[in-house]
Amino acid sequence: MGQPPLIDLHGITRTFGAFTALHGVTLQLPPGRTGLLGPNGAGKSTLLKILMGLIEPTSGSGRVLDQPLGGDRDSAANWRLRRLIGFMPEAEALVPGLTGIEYVGLAGELYGMSRRQSQRRAHEVLGYLGLEEARYRNVEEYSAGMKQRVKLAQALIHDPPVLLLDEPTSGLDPAGRDALLNLVRELGTDHGKSVILSTHLLADVQAVCEQVVILAGGVVRGQGTVEELCARRADRFKLRVQGEVAKFRDDLLGEGVTVLADNGHGELRVAVPAGWSNLAFFKLAGCNDVVIRALVRDDETLEELFLRTVNA
Amino acid sequence: MANPTDALLRYRPWRGNLRGPLNGSWAMARVALRLMFRRKLFWALYGLAALIFFFFFYGQYLVVWIQLQTANQTVSLAGLQVRAGDLTRFLDRLALNGSAHTFGNFIWFEGYIGMIVLALAGAVLVGNDFHHGSLPFYLAKPIGRWHYVLGKCLGAAAFVNLLTTIPALVLFVQAGLLYDWKSYYLEHGREFLGILGYGAILTVTLSLLLVATAVWVRRTVPLVMVWAGVFVLCRMLASFLVDGQRLDERWRLIDLWNDLYLVGLWCLGAEWDSVRPVDQPQPWEAAVVIGLVCAACLLYLRRRIQAVEIVQ
Repeated sequence: MGQPPLIDLHGITRTFGAFTALHGVTLQLPPGRTGLLGPNGAGKSTLLKILMGLIEPTSGSGRVLDQPLGGDRDSAANWRLRRLIGFMPEAEALVPGLTGIEYVGLAGELYGMSRRQSQRRAHEVLGYLGLEEARYRNVEEYSAGMKQRVKLAQALIHDPPVLLLDEPTSGLDPAGRDALLNLVRELGTDHGKSVILSTHLLADVQAVCEQVVILAGGVVRGQGTVEELCARRADRFKLRVQGEVAKFRDDLLGEGVTVLADNGHGELRVAVPAGWSNLAFFKLAGCNDVVIRALVRDDETLEELFLRTVNA
Repeated sequence: MANPTDALLRYRPWRGNLRGPLNGSWAMARVALRLMFRRKLFWALYGLAALIFFFFFYGQYLVVWIQLQTANQTVSLAGLQVRAGDLTRFLDRLALNGSAHTFGNFIWFEGYIGMIVLALAGAVLVGNDFHHGSLPFYLAKPIGRWHYVLGKCLGAAAFVNLLTTIPALVLFVQAGLLYDWKSYYLEHGREFLGILGYGAILTVTLSLLLVATAVWVRRTVPLVMVWAGVFVLCRMLASFLVDGQRLDERWRLIDLWNDLYLVGLWCLGAEWDSVRPVDQPQPWEAAVVIGLVCAACLLYLRRRIQAVEIVQ
């Protein structure tokens, strides 16, 4: 029997008055590491709230880890759902005046652990995340990287099967970012956690995730593995040519090539259709008495693909 | 060979039973108490509260000792010869005789200290959750909004009871031991229940008012100003209107502290006409005002604690 999907949404719509945040979102995600990509205002936050059972969809249905979505946020079903999820918020979300161990221990008790269990578990998790020496310091004294790790610790304390991370690398320097993303990836690969990483940073998704969902304007604009997404990138080339450039350019257009840039001095940037062979450049050049001085691959970056998908 | 210490730093799964959301409320109450008692700034007020308790404690003992031992004699006080009757006249004003007014006055004084501490601590207990973004930390857990409010109120309530009800019960026990304990405890059962009742009313009102005003204003200075307005300015205004301008005694109902005192004395079984100053409203009228204040706080909290603030 196949594993049930981690998330199974059908036609989820959510409106706030006249504003529609999500339009008929249909999504099936397998367990694993998934990136939820989208610009500000894409509907990521609304989707996260629905996945955590904090708000009800206006229409549509769905399940998370086989738990049905919907109903009042304070219903027992939604409490059960939130027990399965460890949420790391984007906001600071710390309790000033508490030490790291007290903060994480409090999180454990809020999830329903007994005091003794939560204290013991807090020591373990803080040790795993490299905060064992700082655990008796007040959380407001932590550096930005330590604060993100202690927030991750409070999400992990009850060992949930799903981690929901909202902009986890926010405010981190490159070294801190890499360290945190390594931890998150390790939790997914070595410890079987399903991770949903909500971010507007494509690099974070590339570093951690297997699956990507691109959300924009409340609609799913793209979904697939990172490899599938990379395969959708348009093949692009930079050419430097000499000779009858105008005619060569017209012939390229006739073959379905898109000329993205032309500086008028024989330097072209083009996007070629699927299945294009580089030999075709030379054939066309030969027909037009053009010499190709340089031919360099200049593929669409994932950022450009992301923006193209979002703006489509 | 793997170092046994390495295993300690690896992530370990956890399996255990999770309790209901009330477990979280209780944890929040303990954390609130911890935060309040950690503030060195408040220790002076705690010292003052302890002084008041010891004053009443010793005062009760002193009154009985003087009455029994030195009815018509002079006593040496700080090198001066003082008539015992003159000494007890001062103590009689505080009714240090194990009567309803003894406990009513004690709770009045201690409650005032507690009210000052709560005004200063409100931002720490509640306001910071909004100001520092700690609300997502709580409400993303499997607890309801009302469990969050309950946890905060329990923390304030535990503090108020530590300052008022519990020491008052100690004074009650002491009074019984100073007089004929069999007859005292039997004849003064109403005072025992009254201490619990006055403490309960004070606890519920102050904790709800604290949470509601801290959610509203969030910072210490505005919170102190609001509480000064409610407990000081309104008191002065009520005194001016009733004692100065000789208006209807119901104008004294705007003095919430006096309303609590009246209801408390009713619980303790004190005669209505023994209340000072005179021209007091009826206890039931004061109870209605207290009920309205609590209801207003609850309605405000119901509107203010929203799930949409959890994910930005």
